[in-house]
Order: sequence, then structure tokens, then C-alpha cells
Amino acid sequence: MNKIFNFFLSFVLTAFFATSTFAATKVVWWMESDATTDPVVQEFFVDAFNAEHDDIELEVVFKEDINDTIRPALLSGSGPDIFDTPGASYIKIYQDAGLVKSLQEYADQYGWQDKLLEWAYNSGVFSGELYSIPKNYETMIYFYNKTLFEENGWSLPNNLEEVEALAAKIKAKGMNPYAYGSTGWQPTHEHLVGNYFNTYAGPDNVYKALIGEKKWTDPEFVESIELLRKHMVDDGYWSGGLETYYSLGWDDFNGEFVNRESAMLMIGTWGFNVTATNFAESSDDWDWAALPILHPQAGDKPNYQLATGGTMSVNAASKNPEAAAKVIDWILSDRARVLNVTGQLGYGAWLMPLHYEDSDFDPNIDPRQKRFLTEFAEATGTGNYGYTTWTFYPNDPGVHIWKDMEVVWAGDITPLEFMEESQRLWDKARADDALVPVGKR
Amino acid sequence: MPKFLTNINAISWYFLMPVLFIHFFVIAFPSILSLLLCLTDWNGFGKINYVGLENFEELFRDRIFKKAVYHNFIWTIMFLTIPVIVALIIAYLLTGIKRGQLFYRLVYFFPYILASIVNCLIWRYIFHPKHGLGGWFENQGIDFLSKSPFAMKETALYAVAWVDMWHFWGFLVIIYLTGMYQVDESLYEAADIEGATKFQKFRYITIPMIRPIFILSLIIIIIWSVPTFDYVYILTMGGPAYSSEVVANHLYSQAFQRMNVGYASTIGVMMFFYVGIIVGFFALLRRLGWEV
Amino acid sequence: MATARFRQRSSYINHSILFFMALTIILPLLVLIFNSVKPVEEFGVNPLGFPSEIRFMNYYDAWVNGNYTQIFLNSMTLVVGTLIINLTVSGLAAFSLAALNPRGIQTVVVGLYLLVGISIPAQLYILPLFLMWKSLYLLDTRLGLIIIYSALNAPFATFLIRSYMLQLPTELFEAAKLDGASTMQLFTRVALPLSWPVFLTTALIVSLNVWNEFLFAVTFIITDDYKPISSILFAFQSRFANDYGLVSAASILMAAPIAILFMFFQRRFIAGLTSGATKG
Repeated sequence: MNKIFNFFLSFVLTAFFATSTFAATKVVWWMESDATTDPVVQEFFVDAFNAEHDDIELEVVFKEDINDTIRPALLSGSGPDIFDTPGASYIKIYQDAGLVKSLQEYADQYGWQDKLLEWAYNSGVFSGELYSIPKNYETMIYFYNKTLFEENGWSLPNNLEEVEALAAKIKAKGMNPYAYGSTGWQPTHEHLVGNYFNTYAGPDNVYKALIGEKKWTDPEFVESIELLRKHMVDDGYWSGGLETYYSLGWDDFNGEFVNRESAMLMIGTWGFNVTATNFAESSDDWDWAALPILHPQAGDKPNYQLATGGTMSVNAASKNPEAAAKVIDWILSDRARVLNVTGQLGYGAWLMPLHYEDSDFDPNIDPRQKRFLTEFAEATGTGNYGYTTWTFYPNDPGVHIWKDMEVVWAGDITPLEFMEESQRLWDKARADDALVPVGKR
Repeated sequence: MPKFLTNINAISWYFLMPVLFIHFFVIAFPSILSLLLCLTDWNGFGKINYVGLENFEELFRDRIFKKAVYHNFIWTIMFLTIPVIVALIIAYLLTGIKRGQLFYRLVYFFPYILASIVNCLIWRYIFHPKHGLGGWFENQGIDFLSKSPFAMKETALYAVAWVDMWHFWGFLVIIYLTGMYQVDESLYEAADIEGATKFQKFRYITIPMIRPIFILSLIIIIIWSVPTFDYVYILTMGGPAYSSEVVANHLYSQAFQRMNVGYASTIGVMMFFYVGIIVGFFALLRRLGWEV
Repeated sequence: MATARFRQRSSYINHSILFFMALTIILPLLVLIFNSVKPVEEFGVNPLGFPSEIRFMNYYDAWVNGNYTQIFLNSMTLVVGTLIINLTVSGLAAFSLAALNPRGIQTVVVGLYLLVGISIPAQLYILPLFLMWKSLYLLDTRLGLIIIYSALNAPFATFLIRSYMLQLPTELFEAAKLDGASTMQLFTRVALPLSWPVFLTTALIVSLNVWNEFLFAVTFIITDDYKPISSILFAFQSRFANDYGLVSAASILMAAPIAILFMFFQRRFIAGLTSGATKG
């Protein structure tokens, strides 16, 4: 009897230990579904992770309507271990409600503050602790027709005088300095406003205004708007004039750039693909550059405005936060793998803000693209970054900044009146607690 | 009352229930919500605060809203005159010809059955500075239409109205035509004997005889011009610089871009009152015996 | 003799004016048709004229790259779904108003209902409706939009069907009642078969409204896969692409079904659309 009982006991105990040793911890991640991105993520992140790990099994669920489904899931105490949100303003809501887990201990343990670019890390810090990590970023730059510049002996401008001198030379040759247009997407104007804020008033000032230490009616902002007005209306920098700018659409202005009707194209990094494709069939060569600083108060080196995409966070009710943190760390640690994934997606998704170096890159990558990724990481890593209006402005002032810019261009209100209205809307948003969180600078 | 009739009464209500329910659920109930929301400063999420008539005060100070109302007013006036006059003349001329009736009717009516987006695409292309008429003129060396009328603040509203009018006047032609065909032929014959000119016949026979339909078309134009949205939104989004902004646009922007739910509801309520006043006015006229 | 010449000359002027006005409609439409078969490169050089080479591939591109099968299905789903709900609901109501108690209080209800139907601007209720749909998970679904369309077209459909059913001879109803028919059978066996013309007309008008509808389509459906054709055409002309050949071809694809229906049923279309106005 004793012997049988002992045998039975040891069998049970062995079985128990065996299963708990060999049972993998499951980590579930809800991601926003997208037909092109999903298979790439599945193969290069999920399957690769699971192949390397026996103790953790990662499962990604691609959700069509994650915004609507995540909230009830979080509230009911169930839901995934890791989940995506469209941006910082959403995380703020969830964090206020106590639905997100603080990642501070894992950040300290794994050294995420060093792996991520500083601004990216800061963007996810609320009340002193890390709650979310950005998945993607974009910024504003400009492209130029390299062959055209070489033929005419033009050099890239570094300050306002040089910008205006170059524009005059370009116009003398019968071309437009910049190509751009707003047909079909009126919010395009916010790109230009953001550019002038960050290259004339400067990111430090913009930051102070965002957190309320400065007023938007201060002279540097008003002057930025006045400069933009002058360049658009009086000097006709974009596509030959205000009305033409209003009438041109995506294909129009890209075509204009390729056809040598314009010398430069001021656009966001989403323009890389189309520019490369268009110029492939042309005999001209292209390159990109950071937007020149237009006023010394904006710093002595060019900065890159930030536009972050989605973020990832851990559910406060997750039963396996350590495993979840391990998954996140695995992604953050291998830059080459991230570059591989984002490269396949045209650098439009999963472009994580890591410290990319030369050695991380696939040798087949377009050198201009690579130069962008490394220079961006380097510059923003040392604090040379700015703020796009569409990421950091609350709704009401965010719509006002592009919609009413037209009124400034039309000459119906002065730049000062425009900024006064912007300040008024900001004050209202501040009073309603509707602000978007801004990471510490 | 015989039981038969009371039964029928109850059943007749049952048959009406589905439509009344669905209509109440989709239209009446949200409208009532709007009437309540306009008294708050809600922004779609977060807390709902009662603020009384504050939104209305802000509305009266809203420069853009006043501009939009003014544009709606111009819009209505434009539509009450241009397409009406053109449609009347064309309908009258159509009654005077024998062959080609069907052809003309189909052609004139065709834009009305096209979606607003298609009409907008056609005209946006035609007015495009590079690819449209402007481009064609440029190729000939003439500087005409080199700027799109949709992009100039002086002309934006009228350019948008033009596209909607192009789409709409065929509808009026058909309506007036229907009315004109109901006019007694003998009246015209009598006038012919008297030696009346075309214009005299038009003025003294046609117009008075189609008066009910004519007045009705005017009422329809007035009422339909209040929520006009599609063409403005697609062609100019109210720009440039709010020069083509209409009230429906303004509401849409406040509601879905700026998330000012309470304020947007206020605009909706104002629109409703405005239409209500118009309808009430005409109902009153009818009640007073005016032949409407 | 003088009068005859006068009539001839005036007929000439008549036709000129009429034809000129017809041109103002035909020419823009021709531009659309030309563009739909024009290759991309030609747009800068020959913006308005007849294309130098005909490129039917634009249609193929629009269909395949634009995932048009899905989009067409979306619009068709909306139309069929709306027709099913709307015609049923409006048919029942119209029958009640026309045959069951034509002089009762219901007529007052009708009057009020229609008045409300034409005078409430969509902007009054679109925002609360949006928020309601969001909390009911009907947002971004075709079913949600179908319900909306059914309600939007209900007053007109009810009115149209009712005015037709009013003319049905009451003796038929009496006879059926004597045979022991229930009220529902009166509807399905007597009213419905006799009213097929008005149902056809109503179906055509409602289909037109749903197919072309823009405001609600663009507001209530966000996911690309569910978007109907009007939303997609709108997206086509915006942010990231405006290849005019493709867009023109896509527009023709959108307009074609309606145009074909219109050619076959133009009398019903016109009668239906204008009866609202003429019968007031």
C-alpha cells in the first residue's frame, strides 16, 4: 500500500513539475489590423520570437476595431497582455483609469531608456513612470532635385537669407521653389505651419508654449506665421502661388517636382517612396535634407519635428507582465530585425525610434533612406527634435491652426489675431483638461 | 361602435408601428438628444456639463457662423433665381417643339441622377489650372481660368453653387414641364387667334396656370438649400478662408473635427428652427386661404 | 402665311437654345468619358480633347487596384438591405393608411410625419445618431447604415405607395374579407400584387438615393473594406492619389448602373422623383 502510494505521489509530483517547467507562458498581444502589415509582423516578429523561446509563447491577435474593443476588455479585467493604441492621448485616458501597467521596473531592468531615443521614452512617461512605447514615427524634411542643383551650381540653404536668395534664383529660372498642394486634404496646411514654428521660433519655444509656460501670442510665433504668409502669398514659393497651391493634389505636385517645374518638395518622410519611384524613371537624381533653421533662436543645428504613430502598452490586469516585458524587450533589442520589418513595409510602419547605426542596416537599402534613419536617430538622440501640430495639439486648436491659416493667407486677419485665437482655444482646451501629453524635453 | 371597426383601428396601428419605430429611433430620438445636447458643453467623451444657453451666446458671437448664414442666404437667393428662370424658359420652349422631346428631357435630367461626388469630380477637373479649361487656354496662349475658381476666395462660393445648379436645373425643367402639360390647350389656341406673342402667352397663360407647382418648387428650393452640404464639402471644404462655408459645413467641422458636440448641436437646432419657421410660414399662408 | 413663317423661325430659335443648353450638359460628360480612357501622360498635353489612344486599362486598374468588386458589393449590400427593410416597413404603413382606416387619425399622423420628414435637416440629428450608433456597435457597419437609409427614405416611400394604394378599388378588399381573409392576407394577397408598379418605382428611387448618398456614407463608415462607392470616390480625389484617368473611369463605373437603370425605367424614375413635388 505504502509503495503504491509513494509511487503515485512521485508520479504526480513529477508530472506537476514537468508540466510547469515545460508549459510555456502565453502572452497575448492585440494589434491594429492592416492587410499589408499583418503577415510581415506574423512572420518576422511572432513566429521568430516563438522559434527562439520555449518558455514564452507569443500570440498576436490582429483586431479590426481595436479602439472599440480594447476599452471594454480592459475594464472587465480580461483582455490581452499587450495592446496597441493610436497615440499618447489615448494612453492618458487609460492610465487615468488605472487600466495600464507601469513598465518602470522593466524599463530599469532592461535598460529601455538607453535603447529608445530619449524623446520616444519620455513620450510614454506619465507621473514619472513609463506606460507606453511608440511604435512608429514620421517627420518633416524636404527633397530636392540633385541634378538640377548641380547643373545650376546651387547649394543647400542654411539660413533664412540663403533660403530667400535660393528661391529668387530658382524663380529667375522660371521654376517654383517648392512643390506642394492641398487639394483633397485641407489639413496639409498644418505641415507648413509646423515647419515654420519649428525652424523659426524653435522647438524650445514651441515646447514651452505646449506646456503653457509661454503664450502662442509671443512674437516668435507671430513672426513665424507672418514669414509663412509672406513666402506663400507675396513670394509664391509653393507651386507658383496661393491659388495654385490650393488646386494641386498629390499626383500634381509630385509630378511637378519630377518634371523640373519645381526644384524642391517640402513634405514628410512618407514622401520617400513616391519620390524614389517617380525619379526612378527620370534622368535626374534626388536627395533629401533637413529643413534649414530660419532664425538663430531655433538653435544652431536642424531639428526634426516629431510625429508619433501608435504605441504599445501592457494591461494592468495582465497575469504575465514579466513575460510581456520580455517580449517587448526582445523587439527593442534587435535593431536589424526591426529595420528588416519596417523596410518591408516601406518604412511607413514599425519604424521604431531606436538608436540605429550603420551596422544595423541591410546593404541593399537606399543610402539616402539609411542616411535619414541614422541622422534622425543621432540628431533627435541629442535633443534636436521639434513638435508637429498634429501630434501635440488638442483637437480644437489643431483644426484651427490649419483651417484658419487660409484666412491669414487671404489677408482677412493678421498673424497676431490668428495666434490670439489659437491661444484662446488652447486656454479652453487646458481648462477642459483636453491636452495631449508632451514628453519631457 | 361595431367591434369590427375597433379591431381594424388597432390593427391599422400595428401596421404603422414598424415605420414609426424605425423613424423615431433613427431621426426623432437623436433630434431630441440634440435639443438637449445644445445645452451642454460636451466633447464626445468625458463629463457632460449643463451650461444653459451659453452655446447660443457663443453662436451669436461666432464670426464664422454668421458668415456661413450669410452664404446660405446668398445660396438660396441664387437658387431661387437662376435655375428657376432657366428651367421655366427651357420647359416652355420644350412644350413648343415636336421632335426631340425625349432626347432633351433625358439629357437635361441626367445630371440629377448622378451622384454629387461624380458631378464634383467632373467640374473640379474642368476648372483645374493645369489639366482643365485653364490648361487648354494656356496651351493656346490665353491667360484665362489659370486659377481654379474653387481656389479663389472671391469666387469659391459661386463656383460651388454653379456645380450644384448644373446638377439641379434639369429637375426643375421636368417639374415645370409636367405642370405645363396640364395646362388646357384651348387657352393657347384662343391666345393664338388673338395674335399673342410667345412671350405674352408665357406670361399670361403658362405662369398663372402652373402657379401651384411653381410655388411648391420655390418652397422645396428654400428648404433644401438649408442643409446643403455635399458640394461645398467635396469641392472646397468651406474654403479658401471660409469663403464658401455654409452652415451645414460648419456644423460638420465643429462636430466631427473639433469634437464640440454641444456647440454643434446648437447649430443643428438653429437650422431646425429656421426650416420650421419657413414651413410654418407657408402652412400659415395656406391656412389663411392663399393658394399655395 | 406670315404666321407659318413665324412659327418656323421660332422653331429654329427654339431648337438652337435647347440644343445649346443640352451641350452645357453633354460636353462636361464627354470630358469625363474621354478622360476615363485617356492614358496618364496625355493629361498635361491634351487635357480636354479626345484621347489619342484609347486605354481601357484604366477601367481594369480602377476595378482591380481599387478593389472595386468589394466596393460594388458594399454599395449593392446597402441598396438591397435598404430596399428589404424600407419597402416592407413603408409598404405596411402605406397599406394601413390607404386601406385600413383612410379617414382616421392616422392621416393626421401622416401629414405631420411627412412634414417632419422633409423639414428636419440631417445636421440636427447626425451627431447624436453617430454617438448612439457608436455605443450600439452599429458604427462602421453596413447594417447600421442600412437602418439609417431605411429610415431616411421611409417618409417618401410611404407617401408614394400610399397615394397609389388609395386608388385600389375597395371592392376587391371587401370581396376578400368576405372570403375570410385576415388583414395581413389582405395586404399580401390583394394590395401587394396590385401595387407592384409603385413598388418598382419606389425601389428605383430608393436605390438611387442609397447608391448616390454621400453625407451618411462618409460619416458612418470608416474602414476601407466596408466603404460604399461614394466614399471611395471621395477618398480617391483626396490625400494620396489623383490619377485622373483612374478617377474618371471609377466615376463612370459608379454612374453606369444608375444610368442603365435610368435608360430602361426613365418614365418611372421621373414620375417617382417628381410626384413628391407635384402632389405636394
